[in-house]
Amino acid sequence: MLAATTQENAMRVLVIEDDTEMASFIEKVLVEAGHSVDKAADGQRGLEKARSEDFDAMVVDRMLPEKDGLTLLREFRDAGGTTPALFLSALGDVQNKVQGLKAGAEDYLAKPFAPAELAARVEALGRRTPVQEAPVTVLKAGDLEMNLLTRKVTRAGQKIDLQPREFRLLEFLMRHAGQVVTRTMLLEKVWDYNFDPQTNVIDVHVSRLRAKIDKDFEEPLLHTVRGAGYRLQG
Amino acid sequence: MKIAVPSFLRTTTFRLALLYSAMFAAFSAALLIYLYYSTVYYIRTEADRRMDLEFEQLGNAYFIGGMERLSQSVLERMTRNGSTFYYYLEDSSGRKIVGHFPRMPAWDPELDVQTVYFDFEQPEPDGTVILRPAAGRIVRLRDNGGALLVAFDTEQQTAIVGRIQRAIFIAAPIGLALSLLGGLLISRGAARRADELARTAEAVMGGELGRRVPVRGSGDEFDRLGQRINAMLDQIEKLVESTRHTGNAIAHDLRSPLSRLRNRLEIALSEPMSKESAEATLEETVQEVDRVLGTFNAILRLARLEAGAEGERVRMDISELAEELAELFEPACDEQAQSFRSQISRNITVLGDRDLIGQALANLLDNAVKYTPKGGSISLTVARGPDGTVDLTVVDSGPGVPEEARGRVVQRFQRMDSARTQPGSGLGLALVDSVAELHGGKLILADGNGPPDAPGLKATLRLPRA
Repeated sequence: MLAATTQENAMRVLVIEDDTEMASFIEKVLVEAGHSVDKAADGQRGLEKARSEDFDAMVVDRMLPEKDGLTLLREFRDAGGTTPALFLSALGDVQNKVQGLKAGAEDYLAKPFAPAELAARVEALGRRTPVQEAPVTVLKAGDLEMNLLTRKVTRAGQKIDLQPREFRLLEFLMRHAGQVVTRTMLLEKVWDYNFDPQTNVIDVHVSRLRAKIDKDFEEPLLHTVRGAGYRLQG
Repeated sequence: MKIAVPSFLRTTTFRLALLYSAMFAAFSAALLIYLYYSTVYYIRTEADRRMDLEFEQLGNAYFIGGMERLSQSVLERMTRNGSTFYYYLEDSSGRKIVGHFPRMPAWDPELDVQTVYFDFEQPEPDGTVILRPAAGRIVRLRDNGGALLVAFDTEQQTAIVGRIQRAIFIAAPIGLALSLLGGLLISRGAARRADELARTAEAVMGGELGRRVPVRGSGDEFDRLGQRINAMLDQIEKLVESTRHTGNAIAHDLRSPLSRLRNRLEIALSEPMSKESAEATLEETVQEVDRVLGTFNAILRLARLEAGAEGERVRMDISELAEELAELFEPACDEQAQSFRSQISRNITVLGDRDLIGQALANLLDNAVKYTPKGGSISLTVARGPDGTVDLTVVDSGPGVPEEARGRVVQRFQRMDSARTQPGSGLGLALVDSVAELHGGKLILADGNGPPDAPGLKATLRLPRA
């Protein structure tokens, strides 16, 4: 059911969560997605681990014994820690989310969550670092090319006309090529909405985009991942 | 050792009354003392002034005509009607020349000028003699050795001062008593209002949530306090009502999906199943749980919203948000073969929370998409409304909502029976209503433009413009 991630995307993830059942569940989800997981059951030990070892990403619960998640991350960032972090919390308000992001998290996911959502978001975290290092002007996925400066999109040299929103949607998918992106991620990152429009509006937009990039070609690039979201083939 | 004090003496009321009368008493005392001394001073200086005048005139007579003229002058004054002064003139050997008294009162012959106080005998018409107090001045005559006394009866002065003193002694206790009484009355009024507040609080504590503080309409501080407290009680009542409603809603709307879930798992346990059908059952179960969680989140969100705990107000371009949502929903309508039209006035701003208003507008559009049949039409209009408002209107060509049901559909979990088959938590319009209220606006439901059998719904979210 989950997208099997290729070995090259495998990450070392630190999970800081005090609820052992939840921690095991997160571990299972991430291991199934091909990552290796290290766990810490309280904030203090979590912070020590994050500082002493090298992880590709960390998943942090907000309410932790010893040291709460916000403080932990703030201290970690203040000390120069750069490991991308995802907050996981039962506090799902927009305000809580903003607090989490201000404390230095890259992403925020409210409990309860779908396993695919967690897997997709953790995977998206892993890709952050290289993107920030060198500004890219041309994105590529298979024979699909997007020039961010001229805003020209071609597939196998053939020009594709996109609406502005379709362009942003495709850009996001291409930046996360090979990864699963969920509907919620698209809503948050492409539309900048923190609310749920309920109707399957995202699906309709994606299928329109698909019609434009896949219609005249043999091999489809934009896949629907059942129960999770979409993946643009890298 | 503690002294048992009657309870009313410990009230703020009593202390206020006490303070009030103490202040009144101090003020009155100061006023009376001033009055007393200024009167006495006036009487004294007035007497001195008249005495000076008397001596000046008599001195003139002595200067012009010597002893002879002086004694004549004194005699004239003694016989003049209405004179308030008494005189006594003696020669250098101490012999009386003329005067009211048989002899000079005790005095010191060494001094040129002196003030004397003495009593003199005054015969009454009935033959008795009474002693009267007098004050006077004795001046030794220059070049002659004689002496002149001018005196006046001090009883009149004493009587005036005495009358003032009496007045003070009578007025002070009466004033004190009155001030104490006034203070008590005024503070008793305040105490009664405070008691009303206390009684209301007790009634509310006792579960009578509908009880309110009586407001008299005088606009005084107690009225204002009462109004504030009543507003607070309104809010509390609303919250309690909302909590109760949330509880009921959870019980009502979550029980049935949870029961379904339980049944499904029960059946899965009791029957031998193929791997495929087990997987299918589990998948359905997960979906059911997700729905339950979704409903649960919606209930919580609505409860927080109604408690006013959510939302951050910023100035935002509502036209832009509407444009975006139109763009977001348009393909979905297209997919359902519904025609979608939007007409959005530009640059209208409101003070609000983008996510909440976005969610509200999305809910209206979502409803329209769900209830409009294939081939129907949906429109989104953003235009300036009356009295500085903006109207976000979504019109569909669905079945509409009959007028008598409109009040109900904005309440939580109230979905029309015909809508039961559609997915959704039944909280959509309730959330729109709550968001509207939170922003000082309202949700207005009306018939759409369709024929009477399927009028469609015209839902207007009216918000104050910024």
